[in-house]
Amino acid sequence: MTINKVNTHIVPIEFEYHAPGSLDEAVGLLERYGEEAQILAGGTDLIPQMKQRKAEPKHVVNIKRIPGLACIEETPDGFRIGALAKLRAVELSPQIKEKIPLLSEAAQSIGSVQIRNLGTIGGNICNASPSADMATPLLVLDATVHIYGRDGAKTCSIAEFFQGGGDINLGRGEFVTGFTVPFPPVGAGSAFEKVGWTTFDIATVNVAAVVTLKGGKIDHCSIALGACSPAPVRGVLAEAALIGKEPSAEALEEAVEFIAACVEPRERWRRAPPEYRRRSSKALAMDALSRAIERARRFP
Amino acid sequence: MFASDMSLPNMLYGRVLKSAHSHARVKAMDVAGAEAMGAVTLTPDEVPDVVYCPRLVSIPEATYRDWRVLTDKPRYVGEPIGAVAAESEEEAQRALEAVEVEYEVLGASFDALDAMRPEAEAIHERIYLEDDLLDVESNVGCALDITEGDPKALEDADVVIERTYRTNRRYHNQLEPKSVLVRPEPDGGVSIWSTTQTIHNTRLLIHDIYGIPVGKIRVYKVALGGSFGSSIHVNPVVNIAVGLALKSGRPVKMSYTREEDIRDHCSYQMIFKLKLGANRDGKLAGGRLEAYLDIGAHQIQAYPLLGCVVGWWVSLYKLPYVEYTGKAVYTNKVPSCAFRGYGNPQITWVVETMMDELAGELGVDPLDFRLNNYIGEGDLFWGQGPSVKSIIRSCGVEEILTKGAEMVDWYNRPKAGAQTGRFRRGWGVGRGYHTSSAGAPVPSSIVDFGGAMLKMNEDGTFDYVSALMDHGCGTQDAHVKIVAEELCVPVEKVNIIKADTGTTIYDVCTHASRGVYSGGGAALKVAGKVKTQIREFAGRILDAYPHAVRIRYDEEGDRTVVYAEGIEGREVTYREVAETARHKNWGTVSALESYRQPSCPPHFTGYFIEVEVDTWTGKVKPLRVVAGADIGTVINPLLAAGQVHGGMAQGWSMSLLEDTPYDPETGDLVNGGSIANYKVPTSNDLLDLDDFTVFFADTYEPTGPFGAKGLGEGALNPVAGTVANAIQDALGVRFFELPITPIKVLEALREKEG
Amino acid sequence: MMEIEITINGRKRRFDVEPNKLLLNLVRDDLHLTGTKYGCGIGECGACTVHLDGEAVLSCMVLAVDADGRTVDTIEGVADVNNLDPVQEAYIEEGAIQCGFCTPGFVMTTKALLAENPDPSEAEIREYLKGNYCRCTGYVNIVRAVQSAARKLGS
Repeated sequence: MTINKVNTHIVPIEFEYHAPGSLDEAVGLLERYGEEAQILAGGTDLIPQMKQRKAEPKHVVNIKRIPGLACIEETPDGFRIGALAKLRAVELSPQIKEKIPLLSEAAQSIGSVQIRNLGTIGGNICNASPSADMATPLLVLDATVHIYGRDGAKTCSIAEFFQGGGDINLGRGEFVTGFTVPFPPVGAGSAFEKVGWTTFDIATVNVAAVVTLKGGKIDHCSIALGACSPAPVRGVLAEAALIGKEPSAEALEEAVEFIAACVEPRERWRRAPPEYRRRSSKALAMDALSRAIERARRFP
Repeated sequence: MFASDMSLPNMLYGRVLKSAHSHARVKAMDVAGAEAMGAVTLTPDEVPDVVYCPRLVSIPEATYRDWRVLTDKPRYVGEPIGAVAAESEEEAQRALEAVEVEYEVLGASFDALDAMRPEAEAIHERIYLEDDLLDVESNVGCALDITEGDPKALEDADVVIERTYRTNRRYHNQLEPKSVLVRPEPDGGVSIWSTTQTIHNTRLLIHDIYGIPVGKIRVYKVALGGSFGSSIHVNPVVNIAVGLALKSGRPVKMSYTREEDIRDHCSYQMIFKLKLGANRDGKLAGGRLEAYLDIGAHQIQAYPLLGCVVGWWVSLYKLPYVEYTGKAVYTNKVPSCAFRGYGNPQITWVVETMMDELAGELGVDPLDFRLNNYIGEGDLFWGQGPSVKSIIRSCGVEEILTKGAEMVDWYNRPKAGAQTGRFRRGWGVGRGYHTSSAGAPVPSSIVDFGGAMLKMNEDGTFDYVSALMDHGCGTQDAHVKIVAEELCVPVEKVNIIKADTGTTIYDVCTHASRGVYSGGGAALKVAGKVKTQIREFAGRILDAYPHAVRIRYDEEGDRTVVYAEGIEGREVTYREVAETARHKNWGTVSALESYRQPSCPPHFTGYFIEVEVDTWTGKVKPLRVVAGADIGTVINPLLAAGQVHGGMAQGWSMSLLEDTPYDPETGDLVNGGSIANYKVPTSNDLLDLDDFTVFFADTYEPTGPFGAKGLGEGALNPVAGTVANAIQDALGVRFFELPITPIKVLEALREKEG
Repeated sequence: MMEIEITINGRKRRFDVEPNKLLLNLVRDDLHLTGTKYGCGIGECGACTVHLDGEAVLSCMVLAVDADGRTVDTIEGVADVNNLDPVQEAYIEEGAIQCGFCTPGFVMTTKALLAENPDPSEAEIREYLKGNYCRCTGYVNIVRAVQSAARKLGS
């Protein structure tokens, strides 16, 4: 009888609170408590879930005391972004805006200022929602996920990280410490598109695209779609259809015809029927690709 | 200070035990676990065996009763079946979870038409009307049929259209969830601070249920964080908290969470079958309307609403023949109540949609068709239902429509239906109205009067006391302006005094856009009486005839002066009048008056809306809005415009976004009680300032205070029809179901264009 | 119980709190600063907006223990004893307050906006305020109030 258990005035469950000061301490707690533990980062997902009794952890492990997890650093290969970097920080970082505007654009589309001041990039990804807005940019940019566990640090590609159906590739005691996001190819144009019922809504569909042009033809193309499959996915068929082609309206139209074959929206998702997601993912793919090409054209 | 902000020493926090089933019998309830934790509990057998209606606006002959404070036969998911109170919200929550309930689950209906089928489970077997116990047949809670005129008019019409429409079921989503604080008093009475649009009816209902003498119940006015009709009736949480306070002997606070609030009230979903006929001369011939109101599990104001639905319908346009059959149908859903417009936005959407269709059939411009048929000055009008008839004395319909048409260059708008691209634009026109109050020249089935008290203070300022609630529509501000205007003082000289049922005389309720027109009428009446007394006392001081003295505000001295014109030295300030009256023992200048308005004049509104539809995502964007309103004299232009802005936002949302469907599997709301799944527009989803124009017609309502009428509801009523017409103009597709979501837009386009 | 220290509206205060206590409830129930409102509890309405270390956040999504050692500013700290804040003045003058329940949240968000961007465009205002929900005004007079507040603070 959940109806009498939900109470959004308060956090209606009791838990033991832990605020580890180091990665190893956090791993120790997560290993010890396993399924009974939940990581608290920004809190914008976990706290409502606890109020609604969708999460009832006996142990809450607040990782915000661990130093260095909120970094946004430019490296020769791209950006190293800590899991605890606020979405607002990702959105506003002048370096990110300049070098990977796609990340900034996607971050800016999430929730509201108040939510982005709390929510973190790690939380957005680790919540494992098919509609996570940071997932599609990370997918098109082939980002690497940094994971810490009993055996120390390891990495996995973002594509391997999402396992669909709300699952992510983390073992017992492991947690995400950050991401390496490679720079897009030189001269790339990118765009993020999203449709929700209002401008303050989770995505019914979201799309990220990166394109480069060479000699008037599409040289590199990557596109990812969110909220239309159990996990965010690349639109590989559409990508293949565009590479080597002139970026004409016809070519784009042909390419987005493949989008429906790339997505697998589920009937039981209540916000919108599969047909709506298929159609609008195609529309958004067209928008994102057009804008990305437009931006790539501006490169001298 | 809002009810949800209040606290008292020694206060307990209450929580409601909610039914997990949409229709069930509670076979057993075990509260031992909760009591072992030290909580106070309340079960259905511990509340008075009284069947009531929570809304006391209509007379008893028009008030069907089917509610209990706590029920052992819950009829919707979320219905209160028990309650607990404890020292903190957390303790109360734990106690709530410790209550064990055993249910016998019964069959349920989630659609009005389904509920009327013979095999549907009876939701109520018997309900009360006055002292009579009535059998409920086919889950129809009440019904109303009306026929007027000669059916031949419709039969012989040149053009006839018949359609079925279905509205959405919207949640008010007022910012403040329903809340109450109750303090039991040593004399056996209670003090109440609650979310309400009527303190006096709250007092009366508590008296009816608990039998406490009326004078020992004090209900205090507190700020109300939005309402839109959801607290015309006494919110169920109030009655429950009183029970807990009486049992525990301690103050009890109960504030609903948002997920409780969304399972507490919503608008009426309506299914309409409308047939309208018109002739080649451009005049309407008549109409037939079948209305099925889905009222949810209990009646709040279903019967008066049946009268209003037909009233709203027949008072829009002249119909030589009218045939109406209305049924209010029980379903196993949250009880429906008034929501800004009380059925008017729903029926206006239908009529304004069909007016466009008829105009198309006749080959006339939809704007001209409206101008040719509207009900205006001198016409009989019964918006508030068949028992509330009056003659219209002020009407700005023509001005609104012609001026608006000029502003948007209506007759030169791009022709519809020719667009094929992704983004398609369209213009819509729609009009509507609402009554200002439910006043009438003769008694009706609706109670509609108010009252006010005004006294002059010893420094020449005034205290204004009224029971009328202000829930954000600028009502009290308007009253102050009316009093200040009448007494020639700046508004700062009129104080609004905090009040309660003990210090005010009866006012029915702030609803029906009656705050300014009706409440303001009471304010003007007491101000007029006070002015007469001031003249009287000033006349004595000045040795002048009271009727001959004049009053002016002296800006330089910041004082109001009573004087005998042209005679030097014969002047006295308000302050001196008040002081002299005290020193000479003449008494306090004051007045206390009840007041009923002799009519409920319509305030008229009209919208011109341009939209752009993205045919790839189905999203609809507002491009431009011109809204005109005839509200008689505009007392506060800023706040009046604010009513139109808010009406547009709510209407836009009604047109495109809001609905609370049920999942027949769980019997619960599909959104699961979460407003994350009940989206309403943000600041970023509406029009830019430059694209939204509001103007007011130049009219004067002879029965209104300084010529004023209401506005709150008329500001909303035409929006959905106008938006629907604009979408039709853009796409060539007409929708017969609200809201027009992106999903429906894409489905319709796929059907039309593949 | 955990002991925490928070600087609330300029004053350092110590509290013993359970770890599941929300900042919203610490502010409203323990400090009786009821200007900060509960509207939805799940981050949809913005009525509970406060400033945490100068940034606008939703106090319904912050555990009190997470505010330990930090600065929290609520609507009660905005005005001084004698004068309203220019943002509050602007909301009143522009008719941006109807029922008033959303207003404290809007004022806190507006203050954060103007601190970051003293001369925002209309589009920037609308975007920044979209996490604050108002059911009465249709946001028109609120946007005007923010513009007016920006002018007041700029002059």
